[in-house]
Amino acid sequence: MRRLVIFLAGVALLAAGCGGSSTSSSPKNLVIAVDVPVTGSPYIAQTIRQGVELATSNLNGGGGVRVGKQSYMLRVKPYDNHLSARQAVEDTRRALDAGAVTIVTDGTGVDATWQLARQKGVSISITYDGGSGLVDAEKRPNVFRIAPTNHGIAFRYAEYLIPKKLKVGLLSDDSAYGREGASDVAKAFSENPESVALKLTLPAGQPDLSAQILRARRSGATALLVWGQPPTIAAVLSAARSIGWQVPVYTPPTGADPFIRQQLADHPKWVDGLTFASGRLTAEVGTGPFTNFQSQYEAAYGPDPVGVKTSNGQKVVQPPEFGMYSYDFIHVLVAAITHAGSVEPAKVTSALNQVTAQGANGDARGFNEHNHDGVVDDDIYFARFHDMTYQPVQDDPLSATLPPIAQTR
Amino acid sequence: MSALSQTAVELRRAAVEARSRWSSSAWLSLGALVVAAVVPFLSLPGVRVDALANTAYLALAATALGLIVGPGGLPSLGTGAFMAIGAFTSGLLVARSGWPLEPAALAGAAAALVAGLLTGGVVRLRPAFVAVSTWLLAWLVWLFLLAFPSVSGGAQGLILPPKSLLGMNATPTVHFEVALGLTALIALAVYALRRGAPGLELSALRQAPALAVSLGVRLERRRLAALAFSAAVAGLAGGLSVQLQAVADPNAYDPFLSFKLLVAVLLGGAAATLGPAVGVALLGLIGLVSGPLARLLQLPLERFDAAVAALLLVFVLAFGGEGLLPWALRYVRRPKPWTRRAVAAPARTAPGPNDPVLAAHGLRKAFGGVVAVDGFELELRRGETAALIGPNGSGKTTALRLIAGAIPPDAGGIELDGADVTAAGAADRVALGIARTLQTMSAFPELTALQNVLVGRAPRRHAGGLVRTGLATPRARRELQASATAAFEALALVGLDQVAGAPTLELTTSQRRLVALAAAIATEPQVLLVDELAAGAGPDELETLAEAVERIRERGVAVLVVEHNLRLVRRVADRVLVLRAGAIVAEGSAAEVAASSVVQEAYLGKARL
Repeated sequence: MRRLVIFLAGVALLAAGCGGSSTSSSPKNLVIAVDVPVTGSPYIAQTIRQGVELATSNLNGGGGVRVGKQSYMLRVKPYDNHLSARQAVEDTRRALDAGAVTIVTDGTGVDATWQLARQKGVSISITYDGGSGLVDAEKRPNVFRIAPTNHGIAFRYAEYLIPKKLKVGLLSDDSAYGREGASDVAKAFSENPESVALKLTLPAGQPDLSAQILRARRSGATALLVWGQPPTIAAVLSAARSIGWQVPVYTPPTGADPFIRQQLADHPKWVDGLTFASGRLTAEVGTGPFTNFQSQYEAAYGPDPVGVKTSNGQKVVQPPEFGMYSYDFIHVLVAAITHAGSVEPAKVTSALNQVTAQGANGDARGFNEHNHDGVVDDDIYFARFHDMTYQPVQDDPLSATLPPIAQTR
Repeated sequence: MSALSQTAVELRRAAVEARSRWSSSAWLSLGALVVAAVVPFLSLPGVRVDALANTAYLALAATALGLIVGPGGLPSLGTGAFMAIGAFTSGLLVARSGWPLEPAALAGAAAALVAGLLTGGVVRLRPAFVAVSTWLLAWLVWLFLLAFPSVSGGAQGLILPPKSLLGMNATPTVHFEVALGLTALIALAVYALRRGAPGLELSALRQAPALAVSLGVRLERRRLAALAFSAAVAGLAGGLSVQLQAVADPNAYDPFLSFKLLVAVLLGGAAATLGPAVGVALLGLIGLVSGPLARLLQLPLERFDAAVAALLLVFVLAFGGEGLLPWALRYVRRPKPWTRRAVAAPARTAPGPNDPVLAAHGLRKAFGGVVAVDGFELELRRGETAALIGPNGSGKTTALRLIAGAIPPDAGGIELDGADVTAAGAADRVALGIARTLQTMSAFPELTALQNVLVGRAPRRHAGGLVRTGLATPRARRELQASATAAFEALALVGLDQVAGAPTLELTTSQRRLVALAAAIATEPQVLLVDELAAGAGPDELETLAEAVERIRERGVAVLVVEHNLRLVRRVADRVLVLRAGAIVAEGSAAEVAASSVVQEAYLGKARL
């Protein structure tokens, strides 16, 4: 009887030991939620999601994320926020119920979702929307952003355009994006009112803006800064160029949206000279890191065709800029998990303030307790279109140092 | 009797009534309610309580919408707009003024009610135009919210702080139970409304508006009240659900929300009280399974659920548009055969003195250049039957319509009991005591004989409004009972009491005419205007119709018959008036008129009475 008891105890211990061993060796899943506007803004949604998937795929390929003896495989859970704050709230609740450690988003509904996420210590990372009020390290300690800010772009434009002695027409459309940008632009140019020829709000979605452009021309504007959705920018270019007005047009990152080139494919010359501002794709280390990232991205998902060709017949592709930001955030997140030694969301969110990781363009990406914006204003550059592709401008000190990125195949 | 004991008596009476009407459908509904109430506590895989609560709020709005789509026949596409108004009113009060949730939601309902009343002009329109007008409203409200981010919070929406609900932490479960409870209450109210005078009159207005108005049903008032009720409930649903969502987002109230709600109503079936709620639940279920299904089929459909719902709707419409619940209930319930009921002979009112009750002086009516009635004079006495005859185009029906108030006269006046009623509209005149049967539409096809006659009780109802009927107050229930008795008596008067429960479609043409006559009698008229009662009737039927007219006259009612059938005229008329070019040119007994050479030559040719 005694032997039997000892035998059974031994079996039990063995079983317990085996169980413990299998628990520590078999990887667990770590959920990363991606809430993007698949319906509403599919290009942005796709590039953000693919950036996350590429990063997680690379990391999982290397054995996942190791915390102590436990390894975790990153699992991406996509949601479609339909560009609706209410849907974003619903998606956030679902993501929290699914145990997500972070939520990567374009920025839709963050005003409403950050508190829900904070209750569970979960971080939110914005990788597209540059709205000024979205990120505040003190008031919203769980909200982070890797994307150029509206505020940064507006002030970079002010310091770029005002010395040129241009009379700038500040145009914005009446979309939420346009209104938010107009506010930042107004602040940036408020110290130099003599450089502003007029301020004008354009109806978003209206294809014919001839009357508004005529008014801008009559105001004596020698440049237009257009803050709006891609269709608005395309409509401004059409209206101006069709009456022979070769006024330089400047835009936020929406100027690089493929939609504009697709709309103006029959008039490629109308796109020439269009200048946009965005976060730089290359760092001091040169094009190597970004080109490497782009190759991986295209190997996984294929190139993002713009749908137009250059004058010599080459197909134009879109560099995965916003995919780069979401890709970078996952690497910062993994650094935070490693630093925290835990996958507990609150600890990971706290650790996000203390780590940096090398971004896809070679820049160091990271946050601290006082700054949750991963793209600093000094990283914002300007690029100008020619023959359906763009290159950094040469009349801006930062931009002039940046090499061009290949955009044809 | 003290108020307390009276209340107890009324409650006992209500309980007895409820028990007597309790059916298998009621058990089924109660069972479904109980099952639904415990779902949040079962932690079912894939079921999210916040999504359930949202669905329950949509069901609340859809249940009220069912009243105007079903009995009312008005395809409103503005419910989403009313939800938006409720949501943003409630949201602004909570977020900016710190109101508690309950009064804020009620304020949302009140704002939506006002919006419903303000947009109520559409109820006069045809259904297609109602759909278009309310669809425009949905767009206007949505565009307003987008255009004024200071109100709506712009792209990020209006952020709402957490609040308690009924003294509890407003978790999704609490929201779900509240939404479910409200849906059940509104469904009970809608059930009472459908069974009561509002539902009956809305249904009558949908089937034959002109006939309903001729019986004293007030088209605008009834439809407007139903629209406002639906708007208020939608506003309440919006005002509460916005707190659940934590954000008032304009994008959540785009016009397609209204479309979705109407689809839910049609899908579930507007003819059943719970049909709209079933439709909403079905759409929610489709949303639940469509995602995995789309992934399984590897379909790149972002809105797979919408596509499936649209397909389902096409099927429902293809099979008659009845909706799923009424269709299913048809197989569950066996239609009760209508039974012949005996009834005591109706109490006859004593004929009044043989004094004039109606007088028309110098009536004139022209349509463009055509003068239909000119210098028309008439005097009718209580208990008298007069017949108005004349060749086609002589202005008989126009004269009748002028007296009934269906059209206003260009000149002249009408007096009832010595009071000038010229300015009163058709429904007002029915209430005053002038009823009319119509030439073409004789009955409401979807109602039973008794229900047809009940429509005629409209001008005599005092407790048949939406609120009293919805709350099923003792007074409303008593009046409903009294109306049924009066309607039964009216049917008995025309000899149709034994087919009271028969659907109108199963009645013969002459029976339908008698039903129309009974409906007019149910309005308790002093003057009854009867237009072409005997058109197409055979000799036997003619006798039945004549007897009915005589019995009506015996009650002291003054009857004016416009008739081509000279046999009926000869049979019932005390006096015959001959109309020519809009004016009476001869008057007397049937024999006198028949003998008049002027009449014979000018109007009747060689015909003889």
